[in-house]
Amino acid sequence: MITVKDLKKSFGKHEVLCGINETIEKGEKVVIIGPSGSGKSTFLRCLNLLEQPTSGEIWFEGKLINKPKSDIDKIRQKMGMVFQQFNLFPHLTVLENITLAPIKLKLQTKNDAIANAKRLLDRVGLAEKANSYPRQLSGGQQQRIAIVRSLAMNPDVMLFDEPTSALDPEMVGEVLAVMKELADDGMTMVVVTHEMGFAREVATRVLFIDEGLILEEAPPQEFFANPKHPRLRDFLSKVL
Amino acid sequence: MNFVLLAQASGFDRFLEKLYDNLIANGRWKYYLEGLGVTLQITILAALLGIIIGLFVAIVKVSAMNTNNIFLKIGDKICNIYLNVFRGTPMFVQLLMFSLVFFPTGQKLWVAVLAFGMNSGAYVSETFRAGILAVDKGQSEAGRSLGLNTFSTYRYIILPQAIKNILPPLLNEFIALLKETAIVSAVGIADLTKAYEKISARTFEFFIPLLTIAIIYLILVTIMTAIVRAVERRLRQSDNR
Repeated sequence: MITVKDLKKSFGKHEVLCGINETIEKGEKVVIIGPSGSGKSTFLRCLNLLEQPTSGEIWFEGKLINKPKSDIDKIRQKMGMVFQQFNLFPHLTVLENITLAPIKLKLQTKNDAIANAKRLLDRVGLAEKANSYPRQLSGGQQQRIAIVRSLAMNPDVMLFDEPTSALDPEMVGEVLAVMKELADDGMTMVVVTHEMGFAREVATRVLFIDEGLILEEAPPQEFFANPKHPRLRDFLSKVL
Repeated sequence: MNFVLLAQASGFDRFLEKLYDNLIANGRWKYYLEGLGVTLQITILAALLGIIIGLFVAIVKVSAMNTNNIFLKIGDKICNIYLNVFRGTPMFVQLLMFSLVFFPTGQKLWVAVLAFGMNSGAYVSETFRAGILAVDKGQSEAGRSLGLNTFSTYRYIILPQAIKNILPPLLNEFIALLKETAIVSAVGIADLTKAYEKISARTFEFFIPLLTIAIIYLILVTIMTAIVRAVERRLRQSDNR
């Protein structure tokens, strides 16, 4: 579904990604871990071109997307993104947050979009918050809404950029539960996170990125039980 | 006793007489009224022109920040020159330049509108730019990642939030603009300040006509300030809902 070939990204003189090759198949749940500043978020943000790669190729559903002529807006409609800081639109209600893009992009009629939004809100247990404003909600609720907002576009893949890092500890669980449910439904997911428990339980594959390179990748059992790269061993000994 | 009262009465009478002379006699109130009309006309038209120029310059400058597009880069340079010139020289000098050098035969009022509009646009553009940049970067990223294009992201996500940052300083800019238009009397436009000149030249009285126009300016500014306050209050309320 997503193929990345020799992806490099520099900010000024600083090379953040130093040549990443990776293929993500439909239905996979790929969890990316690594120390801060390792380039894992940048890698994720390159996938939907929020960061423009310096060189390399990114293929999505059989199309090369990082070329001048590709219609990135169209491609992004199929790639949901959830941010660390939620990034809900503060001037719109929860319902308007969710329905804005489907309505303005003419993907759904207003009534269909609202019905769809309410169904999704119900699924994450926030149906009664439809007319609230983001400010009135807790961090965990906001992040669940942000997930629903992405889901309302019926994406083929969901990208999560440290979705629980900005949350109070007691709210992490509710967001991870929604993500787990999404995984069980068969959504293709790429998740940058520090939640090792989530990686163990949900991932089909775990990647370890450090200094702009994928140093190790394996199914979670093997990844955690039998890490091969010394840097990964060192990293795991610190976080586990 | 009687004498003192009489003297006071006659002093007061003289004051009333002066008031009458400077405000009413020979239809002089019309000067104030017509002057007020011209002042408001210049202020409003210049403000509109300032908003159009300001929004355009702000969007060029913000867009030029994250692009390699050569036209935007050149546009950005031109905008910088414009900003430097109009913010770096006195308004009065600009007005004289426009009226006496660039458009000596033009309709005076429209030349003044152009001069004030271009000056105001330079300040307004910075207000717009700061207001747009103050909206968190995550907002545009969220909009773009949902598949909205740049225009829709501005239209539905960035500008509705930026307007809250923009409106109060924008209205303050127009209060300053209103007061600054007083200098157009120097290039022979019959604005509110000119009304004072005309009347005092006839009545040889400075205080009353000056006081009159000062009060009129003060009332206008007080009204505009009240509007700014009301707008700020409403914006704050919408923040807390």
